[in-house]
Amino acid sequence: MIQRDLVVSNKLGLHARATAKLVQVLSGHRCNATLTAKGREVNAKSIMGVMLLAAGYGSPVVLRVDGEDEAAAADAVVALFERRFDEES
Amino acid sequence: MAAGILLVTHPGIGTALVAVATALLRNLPLRVEAFEVPFDADPEQLLPQASAALRRADSGDGVLVLTDLYGASPSNLAARLAHLGTPVRRVSSLNLPMLLRVLNYAELALDALPAVAAAGARNGVVLDDAF
Repeated sequence: MIQRDLVVSNKLGLHARATAKLVQVLSGHRCNATLTAKGREVNAKSIMGVMLLAAGYGSPVVLRVDGEDEAAAADAVVALFERRFDEES
Repeated sequence: MAAGILLVTHPGIGTALVAVATALLRNLPLRVEAFEVPFDADPEQLLPQASAALRRADSGDGVLVLTDLYGASPSNLAARLAHLGTPVRRVSSLNLPMLLRVLNYAELALDALPAVAAAGARNGVVLDDAF
């Protein structure tokens, strides 16, 4: 199991498009993935699950991935957060 | 193994949902068609057009037909599509969470998709006055 502390760094937060990108990145991996924010843990491969976090700009979230390709999945998600979901700001 | 998706809805609903899903996901992993039933339409006359939409959605593994309101004309028309030979499963109360969840489980066979769709629609309802 790999755990990563992340901060939502795009202005719009984990809105629908950003969430869809996150889920699409993870769906290419076999490992289980969860995201935790404000004490709530959700399936990070579920669009509605991630949107239920209502994680806005600056929110700390914790990614947990568990499975054979967990390292690649964690790297891909960290990169997506660092790229601010390919959004302008 | 990839089912197709056909939205059979009231005017303005199906194409709008497909447009939003496409904006969010960019490439839709399944074939998605929308067929909107006009208010004053004769269901009898619409059947050929609706079945053409069904065939466009079908890539050989059947079609999940999603309707917006159970018992209304679009869902009654959808019920008739189930008797044309193409394997069809139907789920009503189409909403955006339902459509997104189905597209997130694109690898599943047709028979598994109704439960996926229903859970998506149900879980999308949030009594949103916490905080």
